[in-house]
Amino acid sequence: MVDLDPNLVPVAILMFGIFAGSLGAMLGLGGGVLMIIFLLLALNIPAHQAVALSLIAVIASSSMAGSVYIKDRMTNLRLAMVLEAFTVSGAVAGAFLALSLPVSAIQALLGCVLFYTSITMFKEREAECFESLGSGTLDGEFYDERACATVKYRVRNLEVGAVASLIAGAVSGIVGIGGGVIKVPIMNLVMKIPIKAAAATSNFMVGVTAAASAVIYFQSGLIDLHLAGPTILGIMVGAYVGTRLLARSRSVVLRKVLAVVLAFFGAILLLKAGGLLAW
Amino acid sequence: MVNVEDLISQVLRIGVLTGVVITSIGFFTSAEIAWLGVFVLILTPFMRVIMAGLYFLSRKDLVYSALAAYVIMILVIGSFLRII
Repeated sequence: MVDLDPNLVPVAILMFGIFAGSLGAMLGLGGGVLMIIFLLLALNIPAHQAVALSLIAVIASSSMAGSVYIKDRMTNLRLAMVLEAFTVSGAVAGAFLALSLPVSAIQALLGCVLFYTSITMFKEREAECFESLGSGTLDGEFYDERACATVKYRVRNLEVGAVASLIAGAVSGIVGIGGGVIKVPIMNLVMKIPIKAAAATSNFMVGVTAAASAVIYFQSGLIDLHLAGPTILGIMVGAYVGTRLLARSRSVVLRKVLAVVLAFFGAILLLKAGGLLAW
Repeated sequence: MVNVEDLISQVLRIGVLTGVVITSIGFFTSAEIAWLGVFVLILTPFMRVIMAGLYFLSRKDLVYSALAAYVIMILVIGSFLRII
Protein backbone atom coordinates (compact mmCIF):
# COMPACT_ATOMS: atom_id res chain seq x y z
CA MET A 1 0.00 0.00 0.00
CA VAL A 2 1.50 3.29 -1.08
CA ASP A 3 1.09 6.04 1.45
CA LEU A 4 -0.51 9.07 -0.07
CA ASP A 5 1.01 12.51 0.39
CA PRO A 6 -0.96 13.93 3.36
CA ASN A 7 -1.69 17.06 1.35
CA LEU A 8 -3.49 14.96 -1.25
CA VAL A 9 -5.76 13.12 1.17
CA PRO A 10 -8.44 15.89 1.24
CA VAL A 11 -8.36 16.08 -2.56
CA ALA A 12 -8.71 12.31 -2.84
CA ILE A 13 -11.66 12.35 -0.43
CA LEU A 14 -13.34 15.19 -2.32
CA MET A 15 -12.98 13.42 -5.65
CA PHE A 16 -14.14 10.08 -4.33
CA GLY A 17 -17.04 11.75 -2.50
CA ILE A 18 -18.30 13.16 -5.80
CA PHE A 19 -18.05 9.71 -7.34
CA ALA A 20 -19.71 7.92 -4.39
CA GLY A 21 -22.42 10.56 -4.06
CA SER A 22 -23.45 10.45 -7.72
CA LEU A 23 -23.32 6.65 -7.93
CA GLY A 24 -25.32 6.45 -4.69
CA ALA A 25 -27.96 8.84 -6.01
CA MET A 26 -28.20 6.91 -9.28
CA LEU A 27 -28.60 3.52 -7.67
CA GLY A 28 -30.54 4.57 -4.59
CA LEU A 29 -27.66 3.38 -2.45
CA GLY A 30 -26.56 5.60 0.39
CA GLY A 31 -23.10 7.05 -0.20
CA GLY A 32 -21.96 5.69 3.17
CA VAL A 33 -21.17 2.17 1.99
CA LEU A 34 -18.75 3.33 -0.70
CA MET A 35 -17.27 6.10 1.44
CA ILE A 36 -16.36 3.82 4.33
CA ILE A 37 -14.64 1.31 2.02
CA PHE A 38 -12.57 4.10 0.48
CA LEU A 39 -11.58 5.69 3.80
CA LEU A 40 -10.63 2.36 5.34
CA LEU A 41 -8.98 0.53 2.49
CA ALA A 42 -7.65 3.19 0.15
CA LEU A 43 -6.63 5.87 2.61
CA ASN A 44 -5.88 3.67 5.63
CA ILE A 45 -7.72 6.03 7.95
CA PRO A 46 -8.11 4.48 11.44
CA ALA A 47 -11.41 2.60 11.70
CA HIS A 48 -13.17 4.79 14.27
CA GLN A 49 -12.28 8.00 12.46
CA ALA A 50 -13.31 6.52 9.13
CA VAL A 51 -16.69 5.52 10.59
CA ALA A 52 -17.13 9.01 12.07
CA LEU A 53 -16.39 10.72 8.74
CA SER A 54 -18.68 8.34 6.90
CA LEU A 55 -21.48 9.13 9.38
CA ILE A 56 -21.34 12.86 8.73
CA ALA A 57 -21.34 12.20 4.98
CA VAL A 58 -24.44 10.06 5.55
CA ILE A 59 -26.17 12.85 7.53
CA ALA A 60 -25.52 15.33 4.72
CA SER A 61 -26.63 13.14 1.82
CA SER A 62 -29.67 11.64 3.52
CA SER A 63 -30.92 14.98 4.86
CA MET A 64 -30.64 16.52 1.42
CA ALA A 65 -32.49 13.64 -0.24
CA GLY A 66 -34.93 13.56 2.68
CA SER A 67 -35.84 17.19 2.12
CA VAL A 68 -36.91 16.37 -1.44
CA TYR A 69 -38.81 13.20 -0.52
CA ILE A 70 -40.85 14.86 2.22
CA LYS A 71 -41.65 17.82 0.01
CA ASP A 72 -42.98 15.36 -2.56
CA ARG A 73 -45.01 13.65 0.22
CA MET A 74 -43.28 10.30 -0.30
CA THR A 75 -42.30 9.99 3.36
CA ASN A 76 -44.59 8.40 5.91
CA LEU A 77 -43.90 10.80 8.77
CA ARG A 78 -45.77 8.87 11.45
CA LEU A 79 -44.17 5.57 10.58
CA ALA A 80 -40.77 7.29 10.56
CA MET A 81 -41.43 8.66 14.05
CA VAL A 82 -42.25 5.19 15.36
CA LEU A 83 -39.34 3.37 13.74
CA GLU A 84 -36.75 6.04 14.41
CA ALA A 85 -37.32 5.63 18.14
CA PHE A 86 -35.79 2.19 17.53
CA THR A 87 -33.06 3.17 15.05
CA VAL A 88 -31.87 5.98 17.32
CA SER A 89 -31.74 3.67 20.37
CA GLY A 90 -29.71 1.21 18.33
CA ALA A 91 -27.48 3.97 16.97
CA VAL A 92 -26.46 5.24 20.41
CA ALA A 93 -25.84 1.70 21.66
CA GLY A 94 -23.92 0.86 18.48
CA ALA A 95 -21.65 3.90 18.63
CA PHE A 96 -20.98 3.32 22.31
CA LEU A 97 -20.17 -0.32 21.64
CA ALA A 98 -18.01 0.49 18.60
CA LEU A 99 -15.66 2.64 20.63
CA SER A 100 -14.76 -0.31 22.81
CA LEU A 101 -14.63 -2.84 19.97
CA PRO A 102 -11.32 -3.84 18.40
CA VAL A 103 -10.74 -2.71 14.82
CA SER A 104 -10.94 -6.30 13.57
CA ALA A 105 -14.52 -6.60 14.87
CA ILE A 106 -15.54 -3.45 12.99
CA GLN A 107 -13.89 -4.75 9.83
CA ALA A 108 -15.60 -8.13 10.20
CA LEU A 109 -19.04 -6.56 10.70
CA LEU A 110 -18.54 -4.24 7.75
CA GLY A 111 -17.42 -7.21 5.65
CA CYS A 112 -20.67 -9.02 6.52
CA VAL A 113 -22.74 -5.90 5.77
CA LEU A 114 -21.08 -5.59 2.34
CA PHE A 115 -21.92 -9.22 1.54
CA TYR A 116 -25.50 -8.67 2.64
CA THR A 117 -25.74 -5.49 0.55
CA SER A 118 -24.33 -7.34 -2.42
CA ILE A 119 -26.92 -10.11 -2.09
CA THR A 120 -29.84 -7.66 -1.82
CA MET A 121 -28.56 -5.86 -4.93
CA PHE A 122 -28.53 -9.12 -6.88
CA LYS A 123 -31.93 -10.29 -5.78
CA GLU A 124 -33.87 -7.05 -5.51
CA ARG A 125 -37.23 -8.61 -5.13
CA GLU A 126 -40.06 -6.17 -4.82
CA ALA A 127 -43.32 -6.85 -3.08
CA GLU A 128 -45.98 -5.85 -5.55
CA CYS A 129 -49.19 -6.42 -3.71
CA PHE A 130 -50.31 -4.19 -0.91
CA GLU A 131 -53.42 -4.02 1.15
CA SER A 132 -54.84 -0.79 -0.04
CA LEU A 133 -57.56 -0.45 2.58
CA GLY A 134 -55.86 1.40 5.36
CA SER A 135 -57.54 2.17 8.64
CA GLY A 136 -54.71 2.56 11.13
CA THR A 137 -52.93 5.84 11.89
CA LEU A 138 -49.71 4.51 10.37
CA ASP A 139 -51.17 3.78 6.95
CA GLY A 140 -50.01 6.02 4.20
CA GLU A 141 -50.43 7.11 0.64
CA PHE A 142 -48.36 8.85 -1.96
CA TYR A 143 -48.59 9.90 -5.57
CA ASP A 144 -46.70 7.57 -7.87
CA GLU A 145 -45.51 9.61 -10.84
CA ARG A 146 -44.75 6.62 -12.99
CA ALA A 147 -48.16 5.05 -12.46
CA CYS A 148 -49.95 8.43 -12.44
CA ALA A 149 -52.00 7.33 -9.47
CA THR A 150 -52.22 7.71 -5.73
CA VAL A 151 -51.00 4.55 -4.03
CA LYS A 152 -52.50 3.73 -0.65
CA TYR A 153 -51.00 1.12 1.59
CA ARG A 154 -51.53 -0.52 4.91
CA VAL A 155 -48.56 -1.04 7.21
CA ARG A 156 -48.21 -4.63 8.40
CA ASN A 157 -45.95 -6.41 10.89
CA LEU A 158 -44.82 -3.31 12.75
CA GLU A 159 -42.98 -5.39 15.36
CA VAL A 160 -40.69 -6.91 12.71
CA GLY A 161 -39.95 -3.41 11.41
CA ALA A 162 -39.13 -2.25 14.93
CA VAL A 163 -36.60 -5.04 15.47
CA ALA A 164 -35.05 -4.47 12.02
CA SER A 165 -34.78 -0.74 12.81
CA LEU A 166 -33.05 -1.40 16.11
CA ILE A 167 -30.50 -3.66 14.36
CA ALA A 168 -30.07 -1.21 11.48
CA GLY A 169 -29.39 1.60 13.96
CA ALA A 170 -26.79 -0.40 15.85
CA VAL A 171 -25.02 -1.52 12.66
CA SER A 172 -25.07 2.08 11.41
CA GLY A 173 -23.40 3.27 14.60
CA ILE A 174 -20.67 0.63 14.39
CA VAL A 175 -19.74 0.68 10.71
CA GLY A 176 -20.82 4.17 9.62
CA ILE A 177 -23.41 3.36 6.98
CA GLY A 178 -26.98 4.64 6.93
CA GLY A 179 -28.64 1.28 7.45
CA GLY A 180 -31.16 1.67 4.63
CA VAL A 181 -29.92 -1.57 3.14
CA ILE A 182 -31.21 -3.42 6.22
CA LYS A 183 -34.49 -1.54 6.64
CA VAL A 184 -35.77 -1.09 3.09
CA PRO A 185 -36.11 -4.80 2.15
CA ILE A 186 -37.87 -5.52 5.47
CA MET A 187 -40.18 -2.53 5.09
CA ASN A 188 -41.02 -3.56 1.56
CA LEU A 189 -41.28 -7.35 1.82
CA VAL A 190 -42.49 -7.82 5.40
CA MET A 191 -44.26 -4.57 6.26
CA LYS A 192 -45.78 -4.44 2.76
CA ILE A 193 -44.89 -0.83 2.12
CA PRO A 194 -44.46 0.12 -1.55
CA ILE A 195 -40.77 0.40 -2.39
CA LYS A 196 -40.80 4.14 -3.08
CA ALA A 197 -42.46 4.98 0.22
CA ALA A 198 -40.19 2.49 2.03
CA ALA A 199 -37.05 4.05 0.53
CA ALA A 200 -38.20 7.61 1.29
CA THR A 201 -39.23 6.78 4.86
CA SER A 202 -36.04 4.83 5.54
CA ASN A 203 -33.93 7.66 4.13
CA PHE A 204 -35.75 10.10 6.39
CA MET A 205 -34.79 8.06 9.46
CA VAL A 206 -31.19 7.62 8.32
CA GLY A 207 -30.31 11.27 8.96
CA VAL A 208 -31.35 11.25 12.59
CA THR A 209 -29.91 7.76 13.11
CA ALA A 210 -26.50 8.80 11.79
CA ALA A 211 -26.66 12.00 13.86
CA ALA A 212 -27.33 10.00 17.04
CA SER A 213 -24.12 8.00 16.52
CA ALA A 214 -22.13 10.89 15.05
CA VAL A 215 -22.67 13.04 18.12
CA ILE A 216 -20.93 10.39 20.25
CA TYR A 217 -17.94 10.22 17.89
CA PHE A 218 -17.96 14.02 17.77
CA GLN A 219 -17.86 14.32 21.55
CA SER A 220 -15.05 11.79 21.67
CA GLY A 221 -13.00 13.93 19.29
CA LEU A 222 -13.01 11.26 16.58
CA ILE A 223 -14.26 13.46 13.74
CA ASP A 224 -11.25 14.66 11.77
CA LEU A 225 -12.15 18.33 11.33
CA HIS A 226 -9.63 18.83 8.55
CA LEU A 227 -11.17 16.05 6.47
CA ALA A 228 -14.81 16.83 7.36
CA GLY A 229 -15.10 19.63 4.76
CA PRO A 230 -13.94 17.62 1.71
CA THR A 231 -15.98 14.61 2.84
CA ILE A 232 -19.30 16.45 3.09
CA LEU A 233 -18.72 18.73 0.12
CA GLY A 234 -17.76 15.83 -2.14
CA ILE A 235 -20.77 13.70 -1.27
CA MET A 236 -23.14 16.67 -1.64
CA VAL A 237 -21.82 17.70 -5.03
CA GLY A 238 -21.95 14.06 -6.12
CA ALA A 239 -25.54 13.63 -4.94
CA TYR A 240 -26.51 16.83 -6.76
CA VAL A 241 -24.89 15.69 -9.98
CA GLY A 242 -26.32 12.19 -9.60
CA THR A 243 -29.90 13.40 -9.20
CA ARG A 244 -29.87 16.35 -11.61
CA LEU A 245 -27.83 15.20 -14.56
CA LEU A 246 -28.48 11.51 -14.55
CA ALA A 247 -32.02 10.26 -14.34
CA ARG A 248 -32.43 7.63 -11.68
CA SER A 249 -30.89 4.73 -13.45
CA ARG A 250 -32.36 1.29 -13.31
CA SER A 251 -29.29 -0.06 -15.03
CA VAL A 252 -29.16 -3.73 -14.14
CA VAL A 253 -25.59 -4.08 -15.37
CA LEU A 254 -24.30 -1.24 -13.19
CA ARG A 255 -26.07 -2.70 -10.17
CA LYS A 256 -24.57 -6.12 -10.73
CA VAL A 257 -21.08 -4.72 -11.26
CA LEU A 258 -21.36 -2.77 -8.03
CA ALA A 259 -22.74 -5.84 -6.23
CA VAL A 260 -19.64 -7.80 -7.26
CA VAL A 261 -17.36 -4.94 -6.20
CA LEU A 262 -19.03 -4.80 -2.78
CA ALA A 263 -18.70 -8.57 -2.34
CA PHE A 264 -15.00 -8.30 -3.27
CA PHE A 265 -14.35 -5.64 -0.63
CA GLY A 266 -16.48 -7.59 1.85
CA ALA A 267 -14.12 -10.54 1.37
CA ILE A 268 -11.05 -8.29 1.74
CA LEU A 269 -12.38 -6.88 4.99
CA LEU A 270 -13.17 -10.32 6.40
CA LEU A 271 -9.65 -11.51 5.50
CA LYS A 272 -8.17 -8.41 7.11
CA ALA A 273 -10.26 -8.90 10.22
CA GLY A 274 -9.05 -12.49 10.47
CA GLY A 275 -5.44 -11.29 10.17
CA LEU A 276 -5.04 -13.23 6.93
CA LEU A 277 -4.38 -10.21 4.78
CA ALA A 278 -2.17 -7.21 5.41
CA TRP A 279 -3.70 -4.67 3.06
CA MET B 1 -50.44 28.11 7.35
CA VAL B 2 -47.32 26.25 6.33
CA ASN B 3 -47.45 22.49 5.99
CA VAL B 4 -45.29 20.51 8.39
CA GLU B 5 -43.83 18.57 5.46
CA ASP B 6 -42.71 21.76 3.71
CA LEU B 7 -41.33 23.15 6.95
CA ILE B 8 -39.30 20.00 7.65
CA SER B 9 -38.09 20.02 4.06
CA GLN B 10 -36.80 23.59 4.47
CA VAL B 11 -35.19 22.88 7.84
CA LEU B 12 -33.29 19.92 6.40
CA ARG B 13 -32.16 21.78 3.32
CA ILE B 14 -31.08 24.98 5.03
CA GLY B 15 -29.41 23.07 7.87
CA VAL B 16 -27.36 20.84 5.58
CA LEU B 17 -26.33 23.63 3.21
CA THR B 18 -25.29 25.86 6.12
CA GLY B 19 -23.32 22.99 7.64
CA VAL B 20 -21.57 22.20 4.35
CA VAL B 21 -20.66 25.83 3.69
CA ILE B 22 -19.30 26.44 7.20
CA THR B 23 -17.36 23.14 7.26
CA SER B 24 -15.87 23.91 3.84
CA ILE B 25 -14.83 27.40 4.98
CA GLY B 26 -13.32 25.72 8.04
CA PHE B 27 -11.15 23.57 5.77
CA PHE B 28 -9.38 26.68 4.49
CA THR B 29 -9.39 28.65 7.74
CA SER B 30 -9.48 26.98 11.13
CA ALA B 31 -10.51 23.81 12.93
CA GLU B 32 -12.84 25.86 15.13
CA ILE B 33 -14.92 26.91 12.14
CA ALA B 34 -14.94 23.34 10.80
CA TRP B 35 -16.10 22.22 14.26
CA LEU B 36 -19.00 24.67 14.07
CA GLY B 37 -19.93 23.39 10.60
CA VAL B 38 -19.99 19.76 11.74
CA PHE B 39 -22.00 20.83 14.79
CA VAL B 40 -24.62 22.54 12.58
CA LEU B 41 -24.76 19.46 10.36
CA ILE B 42 -25.31 17.07 13.28
CA LEU B 43 -27.88 19.46 14.76
CA THR B 44 -29.97 19.48 11.56
CA PRO B 45 -31.73 16.12 12.05
CA PHE B 46 -32.29 17.04 15.73
CA MET B 47 -34.11 20.17 14.56
CA ARG B 48 -36.40 18.25 12.29
CA VAL B 49 -37.35 15.85 15.10
CA ILE B 50 -38.20 18.86 17.26
CA MET B 51 -40.30 20.31 14.40
CA ALA B 52 -42.19 17.04 13.96
CA GLY B 53 -42.67 16.76 17.73
CA LEU B 54 -44.12 20.28 17.96
CA TYR B 55 -46.39 19.56 15.02
CA PHE B 56 -47.82 16.45 16.67
CA LEU B 57 -48.12 18.30 19.96
CA SER B 58 -50.09 21.09 18.27
CA ARG B 59 -52.47 18.45 16.98
CA LYS B 60 -52.72 16.96 20.50
CA ASP B 61 -51.37 13.75 19.03
CA LEU B 62 -49.77 12.63 22.26
CA VAL B 63 -48.42 9.24 21.18
CA TYR B 64 -46.35 10.77 18.40
CA SER B 65 -45.32 13.73 20.56
CA ALA B 66 -44.06 11.25 23.14
CA LEU B 67 -42.12 9.36 20.46
CA ALA B 68 -40.46 12.59 19.33
CA ALA B 69 -39.66 13.46 22.94
CA TYR B 70 -38.11 10.02 23.41
CA VAL B 71 -35.94 10.43 20.29
CA ILE B 72 -34.81 13.89 21.43
CA MET B 73 -34.05 12.53 24.89
CA ILE B 74 -31.90 9.74 23.42
CA LEU B 75 -30.08 12.26 21.21
CA VAL B 76 -29.38 14.52 24.19
CA ILE B 77 -28.18 11.60 26.33
CA GLY B 78 -25.96 10.53 23.44
CA SER B 79 -24.45 13.97 23.20
CA PHE B 80 -23.39 13.78 26.84
CA LEU B 81 -21.82 10.36 26.47
CA ARG B 82 -18.18 11.09 26.12
CA ILE B 83 -15.81 8.21 25.83
CA ILE B 84 -12.20 8.29 27.14
